[in-house]
Amino acid sequence: MNDAHSPLRGRLIVLREARKIYQRGDQVVVALDGINLEVPERGMVALAGASGSGKSSLLHIVGAMDRPTSGEVTVAGQRLDTLPESALTAFRRDTVGFVFQSFNLIPNLSALENVMLPMEFAGTAAPERRRRATDLLTQVGLATRLTHRPRELSGGEQQRVAIARALANNPPLILADEPTGNLDSKTGQMIYELLKEIAKERTVIVVTHAEPLAQLADRIVHIKDGRLSPEAQPGASADNSSKQQRSTTHG
Amino acid sequence: MSMVRIGVRNLWRSKLRLVLVAALIGTPFFLLLVMESIGDAVQRQTDVLKESVNNTLQLRSRGSMGHVNMVGNEDILPQDALAKVKGVDHVAKAEPYLLAMTPTEGHNFAMVVGVDPDDTRRLESHGEAGNPKIIAGRDLTAADRGKRVAIIGQVLARWAGLKPQDIGQATLTLDLKRTHPVIFALDRPPVTLTIVGIYASGYVFGDMQLFMPLDTFREVYGVREGISWLYVRADSAEHLPAVEKELRTALGNVADIISPTTVAEFQTTATRAVQHLASSGIALAAALMVIVIFFVMLLVVRERAWEIGTFKALGASDAGIAMSFLTEAILLCAIGAMAGVVLFLFWGGPLAHLVFGLGIAPFLPAQYTTLAGTLALTPRFGPATLGILVAACLFAALAGSAWSIWQIIRLSPMEAIRHE
Repeated sequence: MNDAHSPLRGRLIVLREARKIYQRGDQVVVALDGINLEVPERGMVALAGASGSGKSSLLHIVGAMDRPTSGEVTVAGQRLDTLPESALTAFRRDTVGFVFQSFNLIPNLSALENVMLPMEFAGTAAPERRRRATDLLTQVGLATRLTHRPRELSGGEQQRVAIARALANNPPLILADEPTGNLDSKTGQMIYELLKEIAKERTVIVVTHAEPLAQLADRIVHIKDGRLSPEAQPGASADNSSKQQRSTTHG
Repeated sequence: MSMVRIGVRNLWRSKLRLVLVAALIGTPFFLLLVMESIGDAVQRQTDVLKESVNNTLQLRSRGSMGHVNMVGNEDILPQDALAKVKGVDHVAKAEPYLLAMTPTEGHNFAMVVGVDPDDTRRLESHGEAGNPKIIAGRDLTAADRGKRVAIIGQVLARWAGLKPQDIGQATLTLDLKRTHPVIFALDRPPVTLTIVGIYASGYVFGDMQLFMPLDTFREVYGVREGISWLYVRADSAEHLPAVEKELRTALGNVADIISPTTVAEFQTTATRAVQHLASSGIALAAALMVIVIFFVMLLVVRERAWEIGTFKALGASDAGIAMSFLTEAILLCAIGAMAGVVLFLFWGGPLAHLVFGLGIAPFLPAQYTTLAGTLALTPRFGPATLGILVAACLFAALAGSAWSIWQIIRLSPMEAIRHE
């Protein structure tokens, strides 16, 4: 199966010949080299690859954190490569939820306040913000930790707050960059299961080094040297039902 | 949680740093307040001087001094001098006087002064003693113009045998033919004046004078034109030198001008020098505030780059993020200002004297170096000072954080997160 030639209908993300080139002094670094990719509106996609392969660059471009040097990037019907900066800000606010490796919780705000932040930026009324943030934190099992500051929470709890925050504006796309990188394997597994649950109603893209966790995704996209890898990487440890649903992308 | 509230809460993230920064910013605020108090004290001193010492030039006919420029002598100012003087810029008032003398006993004499009833009663040669005060009867009024009425000093009244209870009915007759070694006898009939008031000036010679309306004087002495002395008041001591210069140009060789140069010199040398130095100190203090805020905000932005990136990733606008940092900068300045005010209220006075003595006095002309001892360098905190502090806070916060805010705006969310 080659996603580059799939029909557009029902796809949340469509990349056409997306390239990203960085200039570091005299050195030119090709982070993404003509990526063609389509991602459907629901499900969990794992972006796998070695360090420096371009997976984070791809995530940043899909999340409107960065612009492609060339090519087309369409997410939720919006051409990100042509949108002005103010529209990209609105796009990130309304369409994407980010989950970071280091959680990126604002340290002097409580868990509840951290989750309320994106809704504040979206102009949601204060009572509604509070109600929804409380609901989300309850859903991730932190109903008793609402007023705790990040430093008072464990790593797993912080990441769950971050996931609740990513869901605050009910975005169709969640982008998680190494969300288990700072967690032990048991907690990491729990976070993955949480993301997997979330992916039933929206698209979740997870960047990961951890192959066993990648195997939990509905689909694995391998990147090598800025290109989608032609090699299939079937998950040896995944169960059969998962294997049947899973597809791997060939560049 | 608005971005402004986030800015407010960010202030308290590190209490140690807050104390250090408040001290760093409070110091220039303290310096600003001290310099402002020095400038204010000098300004108040100058204002007092302006009120208590005269801004008045005295014009006499060229070459005439003492009492010779009086009626019976040709050395009086031409009548058109008055119009010329009134045409000079910054002349607030011009008051023409006519003078004569009348013998009393022995070699003594009394001064006879013709003056407009609305003008100042200056005591000849002793103006610094102040204006005469009426102790019986009344002063001259505009209604007395042309009437044969006068007020006299208490010593002259005693010599003439006039008592306070006689005022209003009492008269004094001037015999214009009587002479004296320095008095020109006039071939004019005696004149009887009704004495409507007795004044006291505080010293004997000042109390040996008689003031009558100028029009009456001209009629009594037969002087249709001319002015003995012309007092010219400038609108401020600051303009006194310019007025004097223009008067010399306007009147040419007709008049000698006696100028209270001490006041003008104080105004133009000490006051200006101190105020310039105080202003420089204020500017230096403001520059220090900007520098402190600049480095503090630069540090804060670098330290929180990942937070800025996170805010951007979550959809915060650049303006919102900038507002949170600007709020923090303004509050840092405000806390610094409060620290400065507290220091100022406790140690502002002594330090103002120290700053004046060590920092300003060396730049003043030698005769003014002891000026600090005479100035009321006490901490004053009024609405004007509050206004200066608010303005300084806003200026320092805006100017000091401008570069950092520019960095925030141009930072892409991805670059910010890479600082992680």
